[in-house]
Formats: sequence, C-alpha cells, structure tokens
Amino acid sequence: MLRIPATLGVGLVWLYRATFGALFPTTCKYHPSCSEYAVQALHRHGLIRGSLLAGWRLLRCNPWSRGGFDPVR
Amino acid sequence: MLFAIPIISQLEAVMRHVLNFFHTNFGLPWAWAIVATTVLVRMILVPLTVKQIHSMQNLQKFAPQMKEIQKKYKQDKQKQNEELMKFYRENNINPAASCLPMLLQLPVFISLYYTLKHFDANFHPGPNENLSFLHFIPNITVGTTQQWGGYVLLVVYVASQMASSLFMAATADKTQRTLFMIMPLFFVFIIARFPAGLVLYWVTTNLWTVGQGLITRRLVAKTPAPVPERRSSRTPPKDDGGSGGNGAAPEAPAPEPAPSATQQPPRQVRRKKKRTSRR
Repeated sequence: MLRIPATLGVGLVWLYRATFGALFPTTCKYHPSCSEYAVQALHRHGLIRGSLLAGWRLLRCNPWSRGGFDPVR
Repeated sequence: MLFAIPIISQLEAVMRHVLNFFHTNFGLPWAWAIVATTVLVRMILVPLTVKQIHSMQNLQKFAPQMKEIQKKYKQDKQKQNEELMKFYRENNINPAASCLPMLLQLPVFISLYYTLKHFDANFHPGPNENLSFLHFIPNITVGTTQQWGGYVLLVVYVASQMASSLFMAATADKTQRTLFMIMPLFFVFIIARFPAGLVLYWVTTNLWTVGQGLITRRLVAKTPAPVPERRSSRTPPKDDGGSGGNGAAPEAPAPEPAPSATQQPPRQVRRKKKRTSRR
C-alpha cells in the first residue's frame, strides 16, 4: 500500500531532476542532496510523511542554514 | 499530478495580473513586461542570492583542503561527499549553493509558461497588438523556432546560460563545472519548443545572475584590500606583500590566486570574528 503513491512521488522528483533541476544547475548544501533526500524519504515513509519531510528539508536548504550531512531518519 | 492543477491555474492568474500591470500601467509592450517581471522576481530574490554568492567566495578559500579530500576519496563519491560535509562543519563553512532560491523560481517559470500558452484566450490580442521584441522576434507567444529571430534568441540563451553557470555553479569539482557549461547546448533542443517569451525570461534572469555575480565579486575584491595593509604595518618585515596587495587587489580579480596564499590567514580571522560577534 505504501509503495504505489510513494513511487508516484519519486517519479515527480525524477521529472524535476530531468527538467528544471538540470536547467538551473546548483549543488545542494546538504548530503544527500534535497532531491536524493526526497527519494529516500518517500521510499522509507510513504507519500505523505515523505513529502512533508522533503518539504521541510527544502525549507532548511536556504542560504542561512549550515548544511552538511543530513540523512533521512 | 492532478492535485497540482488548481495551484498552477492560480499561479497563472497571478502571472497574468503582474504582466497586465506592467503592460497597462507602464505602457510596456508585452515582451518588456516579461523582462520587467523577471527583474522584479530577481530583485525579490536578491537577499538570497547575494548571501549565496558571498558564501561561495568564502568557500573558495578552502579549495586546496577540499581538493585534498576529493583526492583522498576519489573512488567513493558517497564517502567523499560525507567527508566534505564534515569538513564544512568543522570549519564553520556555510556551503554556497542551496535549493530554496532556485526552487522559488520554479513557480514563476511554470506560470509564465502557461500564461504565454493561453495568451490568446486570456488577453484577446488584436491584429495590431505589439507582441514583438526588439524587432527580431515577431511574436513572443509563438514557439521559439517558429520564427527566425528565435534562433538568435537561442544563441543568446546558450551564451547567457554558460556565463551565469560560471558564477552560480557553486562547486569546486571541475567535471561538474564543465558539465554545467555544456548542458545548455543540449537543453536548447527542449527549449526550442517553448514560447519565445519564456526564453526571454531565461535570458533576462541569466543576465541578472551575471550582473549580480560581477557586482558582488567586485565588492568582495575591494573589502579585503585594507586588511593586508594593517597587517603589514604591524609586521614591518613583510613590506613587499603589503604594497603589492594594495595595487593589485581592487582592480583585477584574475591575479587573486597568487596573493591568496599570503592573504589567507588574515581573511579567515576576519570572518571568524564576524561570526562570533553575530551570535
């Protein structure tokens, strides 16, 4: 049950990576990068919790944050 | 994807109003309304990007140590990244790039795309409506390659994208940098189908990035100049380094690598002082 919606979310991340992410090159200040983090979070926590985690991570990935090693828990 | 559609149509409505505002209130032709909108967006993002550029330049001082880490873990990219992030933490470095400023441009981009696609239905432009840009693009709402001027615009796009990635691709990794430089050559083929107005947005935002990069670079190059002076006055034996720094630093960013070896320690100290005072 957890798998299908999460895979959809992962598909969206890949879509972003293939299009916009590639067009506007930046490297993330975190490791794993935001999109990688999103994929892992979706796989591990499903669509809803995974998206929330990924969204929170994106908000943290701003110029004032420290960055660094920050894996999905 | 379905859940996103109402959001997109709302975004489109916002973009429509913004474009219409510039068009009717300032009497700008539609193409220049797009340019004005782009400038507005980038002005809003200035605090984010300036901070980003500054931390990127700060990062460059640590380039030799970071290269060493990269060499050490050449085989294992994962481990290499983790070690780099640890290095950042230990040295209080704020890595330059971050996802949020770039991602904030995504809704703007999507809404502009749909606004241009639905342009005829929304604005009902008459036959005499001025949709051209600088006389070489007859219609900004039509696909870029459907007009000869579009090819010129695409060339300008590639050039501007390469120039802006020079400033914004915030990695010390050389292969990644060259990849960012080559990428626009491939993306031209996707972009060619987009409305010309969207490419115009792109070119404008790239040029803004370049301009911003140039300005912040110059500002940063000027500020460290007085530091070696003070240091050299305290320690008279190192007189030649101080006088050399005075002449070279404010003007050219190119010879930076040579004096950086001597200037590095005082700069680091300065940054650290700033940080502690903030907290």
